[in-house]
Amino acid sequence: MVKNDNGQLYTIEGFAAGLIMVITAYLVVNATSVYTAGDTHINDMQLEALGSDALRMMDIPINATESDNRHSDLRTIIENSQFDTFRIKFLDYTNESGSGPGHDIQFNASYTCRDDSSNDVQSVQMVNSRNLTGGEHTVRSTKWVIVDIGCPPEASRERAVLVEVLLWRD
Amino acid sequence: MARLNDDAQWIVLMGFLVSFSFFFLALVINQSTIVGQTTAESVIEFSKNDIRDIRDVIITNTTLSNLTVINNDITNISLSCKSAVVYYNNEDHFIHYYNGVTRYNERNWTV
Amino acid sequence: MTDDSGTLSIDFIAGFTIFLLAFIWVLSMVPGLLVNLQGYTIDYDAVAYRTGVILVEDPGWPASPPWESQQNFSVTRFGLAVSRDTPNILSQEKVDRFFSNTSVYGAFVYPDDYHQRVIFGDYPYRFNVSLLDVENNQLRSVGDVVPEGYGYIRRVVKIKGLSNATIDAPLYKNPDNNVTTHEFSILVNNSGLKEQKNPAYEIDPARDQIMVNITDLRLTISNQTQAPSVNITLTNINVYKLDGGILSLVRTFNTPYIDENSSTTQPPVEVKNNVSLKFSPAFFDILNAGSSPIFINLSFNLNNGGSSYYSQFLNNTWSSPFDYDYDTPEVTQPRLRDAMVEVAVW
Repeated sequence: MVKNDNGQLYTIEGFAAGLIMVITAYLVVNATSVYTAGDTHINDMQLEALGSDALRMMDIPINATESDNRHSDLRTIIENSQFDTFRIKFLDYTNESGSGPGHDIQFNASYTCRDDSSNDVQSVQMVNSRNLTGGEHTVRSTKWVIVDIGCPPEASRERAVLVEVLLWRD
Repeated sequence: MARLNDDAQWIVLMGFLVSFSFFFLALVINQSTIVGQTTAESVIEFSKNDIRDIRDVIITNTTLSNLTVINNDITNISLSCKSAVVYYNNEDHFIHYYNGVTRYNERNWTV
Repeated sequence: MTDDSGTLSIDFIAGFTIFLLAFIWVLSMVPGLLVNLQGYTIDYDAVAYRTGVILVEDPGWPASPPWESQQNFSVTRFGLAVSRDTPNILSQEKVDRFFSNTSVYGAFVYPDDYHQRVIFGDYPYRFNVSLLDVENNQLRSVGDVVPEGYGYIRRVVKIKGLSNATIDAPLYKNPDNNVTTHEFSILVNNSGLKEQKNPAYEIDPARDQIMVNITDLRLTISNQTQAPSVNITLTNINVYKLDGGILSLVRTFNTPYIDENSSTTQPPVEVKNNVSLKFSPAFFDILNAGSSPIFINLSFNLNNGGSSYYSQFLNNTWSSPFDYDYDTPEVTQPRLRDAMVEVAVW
């Protein structure tokens, strides 16, 4: 009886090919972790919208008379250095919760003014709800305000300052 | 010399073909989640609030006495703090804003 | 000699079958690679943000005549802002129409009406939009109860309040006792009102409701001992438009609130002390006055025991009409009050 084992070749090759494909598939399916890197940006977007909104609301005069005199809460706060009022008002706006989740938003606020004679731009610290430890992921919101204050060494004049608030969630 | 019987090589080669295409597919999909821009990123990147704010402060304060100094204030602070070039003119009524990504030009603004 | 018998060897079939089985099984794993790519949580937040922007920063469409005074089918898109130039400042009329489930123009039904007009897209998102009026501590919402896991955005806004006038009648009486019928004229000077360029502070009768309260009518009668027996009759309220120098009667106003009544009474009607007039935006919109002034004249008759009674009364025909304007001290200007809009989408 002649044993014809020439076809073993095909079988073995078939096994080999099958094995290669299965191992590859296994490696590939296990290796691709679909990491949705955009997750952190949603929080940023929400925080930025909130911070800008809050600053903007603080700078809107509440009626026509205040508007004619250019009086807004934010302007009064900066001109009279009422920084604790800023903290209370700002936290009111950001931590107000209606039917949604509660919030624990912290912030650092400062404003930047410019000295006309030396063209120096300097930043004045306003108030923090908590000191930055450096590990927080912060978002920045800004607002332009026209106020009548001095920017040392320059004396009081009508000037444009940029209020900056760094926000983060605890 | 006896030649090795390579008649069935094509089966193994088909196997290899499928594996390689599998690898390629996985690579492409893996990269696509990183190189794309999410909606949230696009929203943050577009400086809607900045432009609105600049426009508000320029247009609603045209009756102040020292407009040139305020112009310098805004231009310099914007450049140093926001990395944005702002150039505007109260007489000719135009505003130019460019923060490196978004350019905004407005002419003939009215109060 | 070539083998052309057309048969396959068993071993070949075995090998090829193993290959095919493995191949098919591997192919079925490929969808598993692709299934994680749709991140639903990202999508919900983006839709919530977009909805928040549409509601809070846009006045809706049609903008003029405004969508809040149109039938349901004419409304293309919702928007609560007073105008395009005043984002984050909401109009009371738009808020009322958006959240109410009773309206003369038709109520909107959740979810279909809202989905077509503010959520958009083919996917049947469910949502909840709520407005917290901080000052009045009032929460209004439309939509389902929020589940675990949803996209969310919060916007801080201000709501533009309504203007109204409270007129103390004794301050506007005529100087002498020689007439029995009295007319009190209120002027709504549309061109003067348009001088306020900022829509957030503008008194716009065609967009916001205005109200005039006249109080203490009986105290205007000169003889206060006879006053309790005098019948004060509001005979009619006529509305005139001054167009190109010609004063023409446009219509009558038939829905004043008399004294403490909770519903309106059509003149002629007897008044004890107070008259309140509430003008809805539709009233002024229909008049189509443009910049022409509108005069609202209230006519009163005084009667004592069946015969006409001579007295001083609420009457400004001898001086000038009461100007419902920004400078008049009795007019309370529109005021902005804090509020918050939350949108949840899932």
